[in-house]
Amino acid sequence: MPDAVRVHELTRRFGDFVAVDRVTFDVASGEIFGFLGPNGAGKTTTIKMLTGLLPPSSGSAQVAGFDVGAQTTEVKHRIGYMSQLFSLYADLTVEENIQLFAGLYGVAGDRYTARRDWVLDMAGLAEHRRRPTGQLSLGWKQRLALGCAVLHEPPILFLDEPTSGVDPLSRRRFWDLIYELASAGTTVFVSTHYMEEAEYCYRLALMNRGRLIALDRPAQLKRSLTHPLLSLRTDDPPKAVEALHGHPLVIEAAMFGRAVHVLVADEARALAELPQVLARSGRTCDELQRVSPSFEDVFVALVRQEGGAVTA
Amino acid sequence: MRRVAPSRVRELVKKEFRQLLRDPRTRAVIFVAPLIQLVMFGYAVNTDIRDTATFVVDLDQTAVSREFVTAFQSTGYFRIIDRSQRPAALTEALNSGRAIVGIEIPVGFARELSSGHTATIQLVFDGTHSNSATVAQGYAQRIVQRFALDHASVSGPLPQGGVDLRVRAWYNPNLQSRVYNVPAVVGVIIMMVCLLLTALAVVRERELGTLDQLVVSPLTPEELMLGKTLPVAAIGVADLILISSMAVLWFDIPLRGPRIALFVAALLYILAGLAVGLLISTISKTQQEAFMSMFLFLQPAIILSGFFYPISSMPPVFQWITLLNPVRHFLEIIRTIFLKGEGVIGLWPEYLAITVIALAALRLAVVRFPKTMAS
Amino acid sequence: MNLIRLWAVSRKEFVQIRRDARSLYLAFILPLILVLIFGYAITFDIRDIHMAVFDQSRSQASRRLIEVFEGSGYFTVVAYLDGYDAASGALETSAARLVLIIPPTFASDLSKETGASLQLLVDGADANTATIAQNYAEAIVAGYSADIVLKGRRVQFPVAAESRIWYNETLESRNMIVPGLVAVIMSIIAAMLTALTVAREWERGTMEQLAATPVHRLEIIVGKLLPYVGIGILDVAVASCVAVFLFDVPFRGSVLLLGMLTLLFLVGALGLGIFISAAVKTQVLATQVAMIATLLPALLLSGFIFTIATMPLALRAITYVVPARYYVAVTKGIFLKGVGASVLWVDAVAMIVFALIGLSLAIGVFKKEIA
Repeated sequence: MPDAVRVHELTRRFGDFVAVDRVTFDVASGEIFGFLGPNGAGKTTTIKMLTGLLPPSSGSAQVAGFDVGAQTTEVKHRIGYMSQLFSLYADLTVEENIQLFAGLYGVAGDRYTARRDWVLDMAGLAEHRRRPTGQLSLGWKQRLALGCAVLHEPPILFLDEPTSGVDPLSRRRFWDLIYELASAGTTVFVSTHYMEEAEYCYRLALMNRGRLIALDRPAQLKRSLTHPLLSLRTDDPPKAVEALHGHPLVIEAAMFGRAVHVLVADEARALAELPQVLARSGRTCDELQRVSPSFEDVFVALVRQEGGAVTA
Repeated sequence: MRRVAPSRVRELVKKEFRQLLRDPRTRAVIFVAPLIQLVMFGYAVNTDIRDTATFVVDLDQTAVSREFVTAFQSTGYFRIIDRSQRPAALTEALNSGRAIVGIEIPVGFARELSSGHTATIQLVFDGTHSNSATVAQGYAQRIVQRFALDHASVSGPLPQGGVDLRVRAWYNPNLQSRVYNVPAVVGVIIMMVCLLLTALAVVRERELGTLDQLVVSPLTPEELMLGKTLPVAAIGVADLILISSMAVLWFDIPLRGPRIALFVAALLYILAGLAVGLLISTISKTQQEAFMSMFLFLQPAIILSGFFYPISSMPPVFQWITLLNPVRHFLEIIRTIFLKGEGVIGLWPEYLAITVIALAALRLAVVRFPKTMAS
Repeated sequence: MNLIRLWAVSRKEFVQIRRDARSLYLAFILPLILVLIFGYAITFDIRDIHMAVFDQSRSQASRRLIEVFEGSGYFTVVAYLDGYDAASGALETSAARLVLIIPPTFASDLSKETGASLQLLVDGADANTATIAQNYAEAIVAGYSADIVLKGRRVQFPVAAESRIWYNETLESRNMIVPGLVAVIMSIIAAMLTALTVAREWERGTMEQLAATPVHRLEIIVGKLLPYVGIGILDVAVASCVAVFLFDVPFRGSVLLLGMLTLLFLVGALGLGIFISAAVKTQVLATQVAMIATLLPALLLSGFIFTIATMPLALRAITYVVPARYYVAVTKGIFLKGVGASVLWVDAVAMIVFALIGLSLAIGVFKKEIA
């Protein structure tokens, strides 16, 4: 099967600001491809270029084998798109929204009835089909938006931070739906800034400041962090980070919630010596132990390797 | 132009109608407001000088001076709101706007008149209403002349003969300004409805994020434009029928010309309004901007339409500018069809002008529109 | 009312207005452009009225009469006709506004005791122009008639009227239009600016955010009002300067009084805008309602063009709820009449009532929606 998405040196500038900087990657057919990065990393801009909402400044992109710049119509028939903003009509009812988008994508007749019922069932909105969309809870709205995006059964689905602002339970349900679609053969291109959602993807692209800084399977990415990672609990994390910086054993020290995550060159020596380092600068060392890295750690480490700072 | 898929346009039209007609407040804006406006403004647009508020200072207090005041009152043009013996009271009445005409009869008015001398009356007009002042002044002069002639026989024989002018007003024998102005109100209201419903249409969808969802679908810019304008065109036509009927039934404005000619003109005019609205929608980034642009178009379009200020009195440059104004041409057409009925053929330059304006604005909107969709 | 919180709301509004350069630009440029256009373009003065002549007499007397018409400056003879059909045609096609018909016996009738008669056909469609044209024509014919009858003799009329036009001695249309126009434009702009900004906050959900803070409703409303009052005052100042310095419109009253009454008016007009937007909560609807509530009423029911005193009673009653009515009286009063507080206090009181009603309505709507 050909690649669902091929992107080569894709770039978008807004005046002097480079939102997306020479990004190159391919997405295989049928995979769930994750786009991870903080706000402003260029994820939304990339998706807008791939869906034809924004023309690229340079570089090329093909979706379903068609060029996004030149063959827009062919592309549009083969993609579904759901944005981070709720973008259905709040003053239309659930069913009227479905009807509108079915009509726009040419889903008619028996196929319309079948697809409408599928969406209502999938989103759990069968009893609320005559309610104005604006009155629904956010979780419902998002499932309905997803339903409207896949009414025409597109081979490729673009989801731009689909779960932002939704409670964890709804988020879980939403991902179940994504898996369902993927197992039916849909290629899903999804961006998120929730690090834990990244685990659900087959492959992950990490973006920062408009550049693609890593692309691999989630497990591989974590393994790329070869040095041991320690978690430290202390009375004053910012001061502790300051004290640890520049120590020969410490490769990287960063705040991680209320703890400090320290990337070290040698686990045994670090466990022995770091409490003394902290004590010398007047900090406590309530707990120090090895932990397995999360995507946030991977992300921070990769950004440091690139020699840059994390945006947002 | 790319292929237009009727099914997609139909779906969009359905959606627009639902959004427009579902909300009772929007329904009121579309159908009730034009009716109320027509009735209210139909009464307001009256430049006839009748019952002009007049203040009298009669320092003479004689039978002759009272007769003089009655002469003013009995014409119906002037209504005496108050009298006083103090000249200062007259100043106060005009300053406060209570009266816009003042009459001051000096002491000895009757005596001068009977002794064969010329008695002088002071007439004062409030020039802040320069239009009314001009007309009222003309009436007042005639009343004074008539009074003078009536009393001249007492003081000496008047020469016979002279020239007598017989005036006949066509189309509007009683010279009622309402007959002329109500059709103009119809034209202005229709333009307003068209602009209000289109100028914010696209900007609003962009601000709410729904535009993106439409853009990623196979919908073409042409289809989106049609989907947005067809419902408004239908509403415009419905409003036209509604308020024209009101003008005829409520205000007894004669509709003398062929209805079909009016209908064709209205269709072209509505098209022009929609095109301008869409154009505004494409050049504005926010709803607020769209709104200001709409106002910037509508206000001069009304004032430079010949609605209340004669175009022929404007400086030449402005007369040329008004040629670009669809409201001007439509008012010309609607007034002629309503009042004259004949000479519709002679209106071809106006029909042509509206058509050209509508097509030009539409062309611009079509060119700009795809850019709007590509964020 | 807490001044710190009030200032916080106002500052936010100021920053947003400043960032939105195009809107700010429009808020200043718009009134200026409108005043300039109207100042130059509009006049009620009626000159060069197109007339056609059907001269059946073709005598020295009839030619003399036509010369008098043309010499007056009010009329331009655009066509000489040769039949009654042509006469009606000229009116139907609007080629001429009036047609003067001189009978074949005109010259000979003049010397008879019964006198001669002329016929004047007027296109009555535009009643206003027709009335004025008719007045001019009658005055011209009366003058001509007097010359013929008296043949140079002088006669003394027993009554003479000495007419004077106050406030606008030359009946310059511009003097009348520009001050009223400032009022009309401001009343529309004020309602729209606020209508949109408040509705925008509802649409974006930031109003709930504000409501969740300790900021009081009154502080939100007044805070949002302040920047627009500032813009409005500047707008009026600029427009007034254009009126006085460019168009030579007289300014006879007190600048300070105009400033104070403008302030009062703006608070009321802006309050109305806030009320509309708080009540409807979407920008589209707020726009539509604000436009309908202000544009035509301010033009037609404010006394700007159509004299309120000549309107039917019911409509006159309606004009009392059009805020522009009071402000038009204020600007005309201060610019042209030079009247002071002793006359304008009535309008001032009305505008205070408006401001209070506007604000309390706005607060009422907020209370219902947020609590």
